[in-house]
This record gives sequence, C-alpha cells and structure tokens, in this order.
Amino acid sequence: MMQSQTLDAFQVVADPSRRAMLHMLSKESLSINSLAENFEMSRPAVSKHIKILSMAGFITIEDVGRERHCTLKQDGFNELQKWIDYYDTFWHSKLSKLQSILNNKTKKQKKHGK
Amino acid sequence: MLHKEIKQNWFFKQAPKIVWDYLTKPELIEQWLGKSDFKPVVGHKFSFISSCGNDSICEVLEVKPFTKLVYSWQKNSATDGKPFTSKIMWTLIAKDNGTELQLVHNGFITIEDVTAHEAGWNHCHKQFEELLKTN
Repeated sequence: MMQSQTLDAFQVVADPSRRAMLHMLSKESLSINSLAENFEMSRPAVSKHIKILSMAGFITIEDVGRERHCTLKQDGFNELQKWIDYYDTFWHSKLSKLQSILNNKTKKQKKHGK
Repeated sequence: MLHKEIKQNWFFKQAPKIVWDYLTKPELIEQWLGKSDFKPVVGHKFSFISSCGNDSICEVLEVKPFTKLVYSWQKNSATDGKPFTSKIMWTLIAKDNGTELQLVHNGFITIEDVTAHEAGWNHCHKQFEELLKTN
C-alpha cells in the first residue's frame, strides 16, 4: 500500500502524531528515542511514523553513535508549499470570474444607454 | 520555510461601491465565489455552502463599507475533525476611475492549518480543476 514514490505530503502530515513530531523537530534535531519519550505509543509505532516522515522527505535520519538522529528536511515542506500555491490559483480563478462578470455587466449597461 | 500568506491585487473598472456589492450581497457573491448567508455585520456567523459537503464556517470580523471587509474562514479537518481558522481580508481602493481590490488570505500559521485546509480541498480537487478549465 505504501510506496515511497506515491507518498502524498498531505497524507503524511494528516496524522496528528506525525505533525507533533515535526513540530518537535522544528525546534531541534532529536534522536528517535528522545522523540519516542513524548508519545504514548510503542517504540515500533514511533519508528513507523519516523519512517513515513523520512520517505516523504520531511526528515533525514542519521546514525550518530548508537542513536538515530532525526533532522527536518525541506523537500516535504516544498510539497505543502505547492498546496498554498494551489490556493493562490483558486482565488485567481474566482477573481477573474468576478472580473468577467463585472465587465459583461458594464457592456450591457452601455448597450442600454446607461 | 513556507510562505504563509496569499496576496493578490486586482483592478476593476467599476467603482468601489459596485465591487463592494459583489463582496457583500449573497446573490452576487454566489455568482463568482459560492452560496452563502453572508451579511455585512460584524460578528455575523455565516457559511459558504460547498457542493462537496465541506462547508466553510465564517465570521465577519471587520466591515468598513466600500473600503474593507475581513472575515474568518474555518473548516474542519477531514482527518481529525479539528477546526482551524484562516483569515480573508478584502481592501478596496478607489483608483483611476475604478477599484483596486486587494485580497490577503492568511492565518496558515501552523502545519496543522495547512494540512487541514488541504484535506478539505482534496474533496473539491476535481471540481476545482473543472472550474479552471471552464474559465
């Protein structure tokens, strides 16, 4: 079901636990162990979330001694940015519709000698 | 990091009063943005009825007739039902025998906001694409 290529950035951050992990990592890089301390879930469950975040490009995992350290990565966030851009397009589309409605209205009024 | 704000400037050949009507009269709003029970009264709670069943719950925050209109824009996240709010601010400036209309859509402060918004729009994705094609 989960293929690294098809992981959608939004599906990845749709999970509250994963969002909480990203928030913690936005303050500092943390080892998987210290991240796990903040969550009431099994260590394998935490590891699974971490793996998903890493596959979607939100974090990198680096071995430091015995610990595995997680650091935020830009790629996943770029995907989210694309979405904001998408919303930008939404407004652009709506407002250009408004513009054409208003322009048509003006033309009609001119026709009727107003 | 993320750009957290959408800003657009549009020029209309019509006077601010006419543009204002299209921002504040439900029958005119519906023509370009969507069905709603909007009233230009501070504190008025209204919604944009979505054809995808994901309505936006809004509240009027500021009304300066023909000049400025601000409302909150809230959706419930499709994934965890947690509400989030963004803010839409319209500013009208009389200019060159017409109106400059500024739109600022912000309040996407956290990743949660960005996510929840997207989750809602995901359902509308297809319809939105259709709309873009027809325009």
